[in-house]
Amino acid sequence: MLAYVIRRTLYTVPLVLGVCLFTFLLFNAVFSPRALAIQELGQHAEDEAIRDLIHKRGWDKGVVFNKQAEGLRKLTDTRFVDHMQKLLLFRFGRTQKTHEDINRKILLGMVPSLTLTVPIFIMGLLLGISLSLFVAYFRATYLDLGAVAVCVGFMSISILVYIIVGQLLLAQHMRLFPVYGYAGGIHAGRFLLLPVLIALLKGLGGDVRFYRTILLEQIGQDYVRTARAKGLGERVILFKHVLKNAMIPVLTRTVLAIPFLFLGSLLLENFFGIPGLGNMTVEAAANGDTQVMAAMVYLGALLFALGNLLTDISYTLADPRIRLR
Amino acid sequence: MEGRRAVRKLLLCKVLALGLGGSVLAVGPAGCSNDPYPPAEGKKVLYAALGEDPHGLDPVQAGDTLSGGIVAQIYDSLYEYHYLKRPYELKPCLAASMPQVSDDGLTYTIPVKQGVRFQDDPCFAGGTGREVTAEDFVYSIKRLMDMGNEPRGSWLLKGKVVGLDAWYDESVERAAAGRKMDYGRPIEGLNALDRYTLQFKLTEPFQQLKYALEMSYTAAVPREAVEYYGEDFVNHPVGTGPFRLKEWRKRWKLILERNPTYRDDRYPSEGEPGDAEAGLFEAAGMRLPIVDEVHNTIIGEAQPAWILFKQGYLEGSGISKDHFEEAITPEKELTQEFMRKGVSLTKFPEMVVYYVAFNMEDPVVGANKALRQAMSLAYDTEWRIEHFANGRAISAQGPIPPGMFGYAPDLRNPYKQYDVERARQRLAEAGYPGGVGPDGKRLEITYDIGSAEPAARQSALAFARDMGEIGIQVKVVTNTWAEFLKKTIDRRLQVFSVGWILDYPDPENFLQLLYGPNKAPGPNRSNYDNPEFNRLFEQMKAMEDGPERLAIIKRMVDIVVEDAPWIPSIHTVSYILRHRWVGNAKAHAMTGGYLKYRDVDVELRQRLRREWNRPNYWSLTAILGVLLAMAMILAVFRRAAPTGGP
Repeated sequence: MLAYVIRRTLYTVPLVLGVCLFTFLLFNAVFSPRALAIQELGQHAEDEAIRDLIHKRGWDKGVVFNKQAEGLRKLTDTRFVDHMQKLLLFRFGRTQKTHEDINRKILLGMVPSLTLTVPIFIMGLLLGISLSLFVAYFRATYLDLGAVAVCVGFMSISILVYIIVGQLLLAQHMRLFPVYGYAGGIHAGRFLLLPVLIALLKGLGGDVRFYRTILLEQIGQDYVRTARAKGLGERVILFKHVLKNAMIPVLTRTVLAIPFLFLGSLLLENFFGIPGLGNMTVEAAANGDTQVMAAMVYLGALLFALGNLLTDISYTLADPRIRLR
Repeated sequence: MEGRRAVRKLLLCKVLALGLGGSVLAVGPAGCSNDPYPPAEGKKVLYAALGEDPHGLDPVQAGDTLSGGIVAQIYDSLYEYHYLKRPYELKPCLAASMPQVSDDGLTYTIPVKQGVRFQDDPCFAGGTGREVTAEDFVYSIKRLMDMGNEPRGSWLLKGKVVGLDAWYDESVERAAAGRKMDYGRPIEGLNALDRYTLQFKLTEPFQQLKYALEMSYTAAVPREAVEYYGEDFVNHPVGTGPFRLKEWRKRWKLILERNPTYRDDRYPSEGEPGDAEAGLFEAAGMRLPIVDEVHNTIIGEAQPAWILFKQGYLEGSGISKDHFEEAITPEKELTQEFMRKGVSLTKFPEMVVYYVAFNMEDPVVGANKALRQAMSLAYDTEWRIEHFANGRAISAQGPIPPGMFGYAPDLRNPYKQYDVERARQRLAEAGYPGGVGPDGKRLEITYDIGSAEPAARQSALAFARDMGEIGIQVKVVTNTWAEFLKKTIDRRLQVFSVGWILDYPDPENFLQLLYGPNKAPGPNRSNYDNPEFNRLFEQMKAMEDGPERLAIIKRMVDIVVEDAPWIPSIHTVSYILRHRWVGNAKAHAMTGGYLKYRDVDVELRQRLRREWNRPNYWSLTAILGVLLAMAMILAVFRRAAPTGGP
């Protein structure tokens, strides 16, 4: 297994390099330095100031070849090398406007993001599985049919609608939750209730439908019939046999999501004022802070690779037949 | 069968109980209050929202209104605008008096107030703020003209002060090489004559210098703080203003608190007619600032801010397009709901002009005055105001916006009265009867916009429709803002739409947009160059406001109206809502440190907030009831579950 993990980790090397390259192309082809500088300077943008800003940000250096530099530095003192170095060494540098250390900002922003995403993840998982068990238990009844219809309905609605309606109904009309804001420590709970509730509702439809399908597939298997023939109760069959065997697809879906909990949620954080990483990313996009955006895209790719690895490992735990070599 | 049914029922009950219990648990603690703020602890706190974080709090970089609005609360400049008087009038702030100007208008001598101290900060020896001297202004203005600081306001003094341009040019070179400027180096035209006297020597009469010395760009910055905090100075402002930065958590909140060592500054007792009726003198003579803290929440989305305002958790609000009909009736008054709450509505003309510019160097539109006049006549402003601005704008007749010296409310630009018939006539006179030119081809105009946003696009389509009415075909070209600016700088556009937001309340700031020597890459984007206008501009620029200046401005505006290098489009009017517990609020077009005047009736706010925010448990119970009933019905009417597979 160790060999497998090492091998898989090595596989991620080209992926990581590819992502670095991709972000480099993205932020150097899509955003022209001159455009970013003019935008930042506004009504009184003057040529000197534009040139100076481009220089300060290092945007005037050669992309892969620096004519002004000496000797070997012609090849190393370039925008491409700068970019790769920053990402590969996890030295993301500073934000453009307020010169904050991006590494520190990311660490700080993780806390509010996690306080939002972890409860959503855990409660979503528990609620999703228990409701799907419930629905699977009543399979092929009107309850099942109704639940599936409701699930499809829930899935088809955009999260923006949940947020807007949730804020209007629960925060404005019923006045049960603060509509916006955040507080550190224990007081965060008050502000997290509404976004968590909304995210749960949004996620539930897809989750229940997915888990139900998996459970029903298992219920049709021979071993279930055997268990029933032995005279086992429906409850024991569901919880002891079916659930265990349905774990592989469930794990694929959930373990892959774990690393992304660290990145927070773009929309929820922005609409509810939670100062996490999602919020930071939105701000960076709005201000054209390519440093922060590149760092976040890169982290996202790394976490995705990590999620895949974790999923594979978790299979061995759920299914003894699987060996990683 | 019986046993399974029982189990099923049990399971159903369990899930329902869990759901209900969970909801009660969730709502229970939240139900106490929807107040998003930590307790004020007896302090008088003003609650406001910012659409985004300021882009740093260094005065020389405070180019945008939002950052400038916070910087102005923390830093003071030599002058400030009178809070209540209109038209806008300057008064001394850190200066002891208005500048003494020599007869040739080239030497400005400014006495600096004695005994004013910077706020206490660890950057000073012993942590106690030291006294502000004339030397601090010399330093701060050198900073503004040093490219190494990425200043946004160096245009303000460029070419105006003796020796300062050389300093600036050197800083551009040094910044490119990554070297710092030597702040010990004297500048000929910028001197501290003694501890409390500042002197400027100008290269040409520059009547607008006083306005420059009001802007945050030229605020007093202590050298100690810049050196102590270095790159982090943008996050650690150290000024002399009424407030100091207490806490700034990015994308969360920015809290200002009373500067305990703020100088003795009093609420004004003079203003304009109507101020007394508006209760604006009740605080006359009171020591400033009045509130202890300003709590700014960073809110990027319109809906949460709007709900917070309606709940009383924000003192004021603008009105976004989506919420316009909720607050404003078609008669442009407040709706019943807002009237009942005691919300006040202020309609405030902004000092902005949006216009359609013709490139005067273009062989087609630039050379043909009658054609420009015809297009101006065909331009339907009223339709735009109604559809693009919810009626929140006035039709512009010339370049000068209302509220500005030189604005003529009775000016009727003869080519700005929407009249398709006259437009067609004029077009025929221009050589394009029915839109067809002498070569028998239909006239085609290129119209550039600098944004791909729907609003810009719609506005361009409206322009195409208007011109289509008189037979002119319009080709719309969408650019990014940067491409658009580059095209204006290279004078490659034909017809395009832009706007100008004022920098200081002098008509010179708007008329310079048409001054020949300011042609692109300068701010004169239409490249209009009329010798008579230029001569009058030079004369007007150096004059004090008065009837003589007014007469010259009128002549300049008349020339522009007749030549029609622009179709002046609109001046926007902002609608501001405020709760009735907010005191001493008067709209001001200039960015400045006005929060020091603001007051809040804390008891009234507390009472109304409580009244407006009683949790509505009934609807919650109703929703839970409906859910419960649905589950029950489903459970009761279910078909017997098959025992086999699905």
